[in-house]
Amino acid sequence: MLRRLIARWQGIVLALIGIVATVWLALTDQLSLYIHPGTSWFAIVMALIGAVLVIAAFALTPLEDDHQVASDASQPGPAVHLHEHDPTAPRSVGSGTIRAALAAAIIVGASLALLVLPPATLTSAAAAQRSINSETSTLDQDATALVGGDTSSFTVKDWAVLLGQSPDADFFAGRSIDLVGFVSSSPDDPDNVFYVTRFVVTHCAIDAQPVGVPVYLPGWAERFEPDQWVTASGAIVPNPGSSSAEPLLLTPDEISVTDQPEQPYVY
Amino acid sequence: MSPPPAPLRPAPPKPSTRPRAAVGLSLGVALVLLFVAIRVLAPEAVGDVLSNSVQDFFTLSISVVIESLPFVFLGILLSIGVQVWLPDGFLLRHLPRNRVARRVTVSLLGVLLPVCECGNVPLARGLILRGLTVGESMTFLLAAPILNPVTIITTYQAFGWSDGILVSRILGGFVIANLIGWIYSRHPSPMSLLTPKFQASCAHAHDEVRASRTRRSVAMFDKETSAMLPALFVGSAVAGLIQVAVSRDVLVTLGQNPVLSVFALMALAFVVAICSNVDAFFILAFGSTFMPGAIVAFLVFGPMIDVKMLALMRTTFTAKTLVQLTVIVGLASAALGLAVNALA
Repeated sequence: MLRRLIARWQGIVLALIGIVATVWLALTDQLSLYIHPGTSWFAIVMALIGAVLVIAAFALTPLEDDHQVASDASQPGPAVHLHEHDPTAPRSVGSGTIRAALAAAIIVGASLALLVLPPATLTSAAAAQRSINSETSTLDQDATALVGGDTSSFTVKDWAVLLGQSPDADFFAGRSIDLVGFVSSSPDDPDNVFYVTRFVVTHCAIDAQPVGVPVYLPGWAERFEPDQWVTASGAIVPNPGSSSAEPLLLTPDEISVTDQPEQPYVY
Repeated sequence: MSPPPAPLRPAPPKPSTRPRAAVGLSLGVALVLLFVAIRVLAPEAVGDVLSNSVQDFFTLSISVVIESLPFVFLGILLSIGVQVWLPDGFLLRHLPRNRVARRVTVSLLGVLLPVCECGNVPLARGLILRGLTVGESMTFLLAAPILNPVTIITTYQAFGWSDGILVSRILGGFVIANLIGWIYSRHPSPMSLLTPKFQASCAHAHDEVRASRTRRSVAMFDKETSAMLPALFVGSAVAGLIQVAVSRDVLVTLGQNPVLSVFALMALAFVVAICSNVDAFFILAFGSTFMPGAIVAFLVFGPMIDVKMLALMRTTFTAKTLVQLTVIVGLASAALGLAVNALA
């Protein structure tokens, strides 16, 4: 009985889990942790339409039970003759149990991921795995357009693009810059350099690319931990002797721990 | 959950409908409240026990689910529209009789029904149930994610006319989809390409006329979510896992070689399982390190075949069919990419 029940309700229950998660993320302003804010409206509208259909399915269910059961092959019914010609078709009681167990596992896993775990951003592990700044030269942004811009509103992305495309120390001379990002250690000089890092998202977290401004602060690991959010201000100077390949680094006047911003990704 | 009373035999629907609806409805509301309660009351601290990589796995998998779910819903809605609300025979009446012309028309349906690839699977199922052949539905499934206005516009925005990327993508997608449709139209028993469960659905496609359209729509939503969503959740988990496990550096380093870059980017397309509407921007970001042919191969292969799509298509096609499909599409995309590189 339970077996059939799970198989019967699997789709509707999974849909409901996805809908509750989407709507809750939207209501708590956290949908942008997973998808670009520009597409939120679509996710919300479809979730609400889905919700109506899910509730309707609960109210109107029995319509197709007989077909459904038959095509699940766990019960003799009008459609079973098809399976009899097909030796690969699952038909025994055992396979029905396995299928129900799999379905239950998927439901439990989905609830765990979407309903129990607190929403989170990608971590410094993803930043390291995707190589910070490996793609700044081709972000859809032009360094020359940035050069004349108002640097006070620059994000980590803007600075990373500038540093990546015009490593000309003169431009940075005498400028103090402010940054907010999370800490991730430099792969080639982890003792003295870390990156103030953000992820750039074009569509959803899947395509997030890490960008960062390298900070020169020997012994930084005693004061900060990877994944901690910090604000940093200081000047960009030529590499003062770090083994990092970065030609220009930020020497900080001030760094302090801060809260994760409401929009942890940049676009 | 307690069971709604389920008739094992087709019972006269009228008399028992009302109390059953009330039971079902209260059951549904109870489940909604339960899920909302879990979500609201789940302690923040649960996440702290996860290591960074495990956390990233969940974030990426959840991202795929949250991103794809609306498209799957949209696809199911369109599928319901085609199956329940279009007049019987409408589709077949309006498609050309000639097989080749019909496949060409089907491969352009994506222009009218701009759904992403995950939404196309339920729609393709609906088309088979409405009388299209298996080969024709494959042509639709493979062509529609590429030959639709959203994809074409975003590809144009990303690449303009440079290196023939846009043109190669459109023509390549069109040719490969029609090639697949032609190959499978010659199959002696096309129904054997489908999973037994979906075959059973096809056998029933024409004997559900008693109920009202609304009821049939809701029943179909129920049935399609049962088929698609487990696949979507599993596919998302696999995509998240691979993203955490496979280093992108390896793929990017291969990008300079005119031959290897094609295969490297096809592997990347398979792994990242990104939506065809936005994959052009995605690959643009990796951009200049890759040869144009590799980018074309990425943009043609990715919308047709990737981990998430295979999980979704497995609801409908047998594993053997999907292996063949992957090999043929892979070879054709590689040939296209290599040709573009050779001409570039």
